[in-house]
Amino acid sequence: MIAFVLRRLAQLLPVLLGASALIFAMMYAVPGGPVGVLVGENATAEQIEAVTKQFGLDRPIIVQYGDWLLRALGGDLGLSLHSREPVLKLITERLPATLQLAALATVIGLALGIPIALGSALAQGSWLDRALSGWSALALGVPTFWVGILLILLFAVELRLLPAASGYVPFWSDPVQAVRNTILPALTLGLYVSGIFARFLRGSLIGELNSDYVRTARSKGLKERTIVVRHVMRNALLPFITIVGIALAGFIGGTVVTESVFTYPGLGRLVIQAISTRDYPLIQGAILVILLIYVLINLAVDVLYVYIDPRIDFQ
Amino acid sequence: MPEPVLSIRSLAVTFPGADAPLRAVRGVDLDVHEGEVLGIVGESGSGKSVTALAAAALLPESAQVSGTITLAGQSVLGAPADTLRRMRGNDIGVVFQDPSTTLNPLLPIGRQITEGEIAHGRLSQRDAPARAVALLCEVDIADPSSRASQYPHQFSGGMRQRAVIAMAMAGRPRLIIADEPTTALDVTVQAQVLDLLARRQKETGAAVVLITHDLGVVAEVAHRVAVMYAGRIVETGTVREIFSHPRHPYTAALLRSAPRIDATGGRLDPIPGQPPNPGALPPGCSFRPRCAIGGDRALCAEQEPPLRPLAPGRAAACHFADEVRPPAQAASVAAQPAEPEPTRAAAPLLEVENLVVHFPIRAGLLRRVVRTVRAVDGVSLRLAAGETLGLVGESGCGKTTTGRTIMGLVPATAGRVVFDGKAISGLDRMALRPVRRRMQYVFQDPYSSLNPMLNVGDAVAEPLRIHGLYDEMGGARWIAQLFDVVGLPASAAHRLPREFSGGQKQRIGIARALALKPKLLILDEPVASLDVSIQAQIVNLLQDLQRELGLAYLFIAHDLSIVKHVSDRVAVMYLGRIVEESDKRTLYDAPTHPYTQALLSAVPAPDVSEAAGRRRIILEGEIPNPAAPPPGCHFHPRCFRASALCVREAPNFARHGDSETRVACHHAGPLEPDAPLRHAMGAAP
Repeated sequence: MIAFVLRRLAQLLPVLLGASALIFAMMYAVPGGPVGVLVGENATAEQIEAVTKQFGLDRPIIVQYGDWLLRALGGDLGLSLHSREPVLKLITERLPATLQLAALATVIGLALGIPIALGSALAQGSWLDRALSGWSALALGVPTFWVGILLILLFAVELRLLPAASGYVPFWSDPVQAVRNTILPALTLGLYVSGIFARFLRGSLIGELNSDYVRTARSKGLKERTIVVRHVMRNALLPFITIVGIALAGFIGGTVVTESVFTYPGLGRLVIQAISTRDYPLIQGAILVILLIYVLINLAVDVLYVYIDPRIDFQ
Repeated sequence: MPEPVLSIRSLAVTFPGADAPLRAVRGVDLDVHEGEVLGIVGESGSGKSVTALAAAALLPESAQVSGTITLAGQSVLGAPADTLRRMRGNDIGVVFQDPSTTLNPLLPIGRQITEGEIAHGRLSQRDAPARAVALLCEVDIADPSSRASQYPHQFSGGMRQRAVIAMAMAGRPRLIIADEPTTALDVTVQAQVLDLLARRQKETGAAVVLITHDLGVVAEVAHRVAVMYAGRIVETGTVREIFSHPRHPYTAALLRSAPRIDATGGRLDPIPGQPPNPGALPPGCSFRPRCAIGGDRALCAEQEPPLRPLAPGRAAACHFADEVRPPAQAASVAAQPAEPEPTRAAAPLLEVENLVVHFPIRAGLLRRVVRTVRAVDGVSLRLAAGETLGLVGESGCGKTTTGRTIMGLVPATAGRVVFDGKAISGLDRMALRPVRRRMQYVFQDPYSSLNPMLNVGDAVAEPLRIHGLYDEMGGARWIAQLFDVVGLPASAAHRLPREFSGGQKQRIGIARALALKPKLLILDEPVASLDVSIQAQIVNLLQDLQRELGLAYLFIAHDLSIVKHVSDRVAVMYLGRIVEESDKRTLYDAPTHPYTQALLSAVPAPDVSEAAGRRRIILEGEIPNPAAPPPGCHFHPRCFRASALCVREAPNFARHGDSETRVACHHAGPLEPDAPLRHAMGAAP
């Protein structure tokens, strides 16, 4: 299995390399180029020359890229233009908060989505199926900022159970406070993906329920429960894992709206701040890290596939 | 008489349909006794599977079922779910059609064949592994202890079906339902599985309901037969009676329409029209529109004939059962003088020399070639203008790849293809274009080979447009003519493929192939997915077209009876190589290659007297993986004549003595009547 992971990583190298080149090239695409980014709009010719020298911007681009890549691999993503702090430090401060939110949101999405999908697939066409499918449509259709505001109004303003503005408390330092702080944004995102999960899994389950091997299992006299748990679920989960992986990856850096509603200190808001202040080194670094996490999640999905499906082996 | 194991009375099954309810089964009565094999024969949509699934209460919930079904003394209809669950596996076991989908791909075989007994509390989790091994052993799976922990994809098709049989019989149920159990299997594997099913049936004394469209399989295995048409049983009787003296015109017509391996030439006698739509049955007798004797009689149009007893155990649902002609007599009426031998042109139209098609299997980071699938491994063929060459073999033998490579759809690895005097292998797309005009392909599956969004007139016109010849060849008038040629109304051109039946779609596929006025058609299993009565219509159409247009056919098929019927010469393929080739009569009457001999003997013939007396060669094992073919002669691990020489050296493909036949065998020769037929060199791997 380790060989499989290494091989898959090696296969991803060209992807990462290409992406990093694009991210690097971004600096040259912005107005004024990399020098303009560093010196600002009203710089004198001497300033420009000094900065060009100082940062080696007069070297060939390929050399600059190689240099940039090597330093990035060593963890040096440069300094934020805005705060003058190391980009890596800014990102790693926010990353745990984002991961905690993403994980909790995915768990909530699964906890809601799987039962909904099972309920509607097993009672296909019934009023329950229609009601649950309606719920999925609602979860997908209502904008997350609106759900977030409703949740704040209910739990923070009316019931006064939870904080309206969420801070980041690491789960391992204080689980109760961590959940109290993360639960509302996680619920907002979790409700949304539960709609996606339920829809997708329902279709997958119905497809499997109508397949020949289920009829075979019934002909053996198995209990319907056994058939669903042992035969149907495993098969239906295969394509579903991919969807969960995509959703989880989407939560890394893609939850700006929800983070803003709850003033949650996640990666998404950091990126937005970086974009609005034209803090290019920070944007580059954030994109690079998000990309890396995407790739790792996809790798994890591939490994899970191999574990569940005997037809695929570690080759 | 003892109580029947299964007793069905007035069974009716209706499914909700888009326009009208679909009356799939309309009043079926049948009894099956212990130790008896009842064959239910019918075409698709006749209600045979629905009847059997109703007995196991396995119909989808949307089905409305009425009547009574008594299984082992208990009523099935209306029984609570728990009772039904206990009956399944205990009283009834089912073997389904397609072993590639009936097993769960994610669970080990051993677990799947024992979970029924565990669910019924007869087997503990602890004893299950040993039980799985014992069950696999009973169905002749080699090395059962390591096989039990393998997954379905690690089993071949035949082995999967053995596992399914083991599973269905695990609880020693009193009734086995086998729903087209061998339809998805190759003929040599079919012979093994039928053999196994019959043996296990005798050992357990179970009653068996065998559902099939294949009259040969019924003749081979069943004791009693029920023929179904449009949701009803139209005739029942013993196998012997049904085959020698059918009393329903549909049974007689069915027997006449199937090409037989023991018949010589002549024209097939198809049943006109097609089976009725269960949502829109004709009034009166539902077979009347296709019937040879009822035709225009008022009684048949007004009254649906009841299933009338004619003798003990014998019944037919026909107003004029006495007028039905037995098939033998009918055959002599239908037989025509043998067709004249096609005149052989000096130069063959198509010549294939030593064609090799290898597909590399790549693996690893650098996509290195780790192995090679030798799909076609040195094939030589000649085909004269106006002639039909049958290319026959089991799945995976490379016959389709051969056809596609000749057509230029797959690049050849080596070898030469000469068509119409021009070497065409290795030509690029542009250079191939004018050649493709003269050589067209008809695909196996008429359901998926037509674009569902394109009306069929455009589909037929497409080759003309691609070659920029639409106007030159007569445009819409030529299209209308093509529809006429294949027996479809010209008005059909504006409709979409989904509005046509399978047989009609295949006619459209043929019209499309004919649009450019080719000289050669490569027909890849053109009738394999059609019902027997429709097969005969298409085969006749192809033969008429060949006579009228002087076409040459490369007819690729696995069905030896049809190949015999349509071909002038026949080539038998095994694992990428042609093992024997000869004119039709010599090949079928005096085969010299042991594989040809086994293949021919494995075909179940729809004739009881013959089935009783015939000596069957049951080959062991299945076609090996073409990525790792056995050394020497590819066939030696399954051959009953193999010697040490065969393991060492591949035989040349050469003329056998001074006969027409070319054969690739070290020990070619006629089948000795008392030679050992089992493999002489130990069990097949």
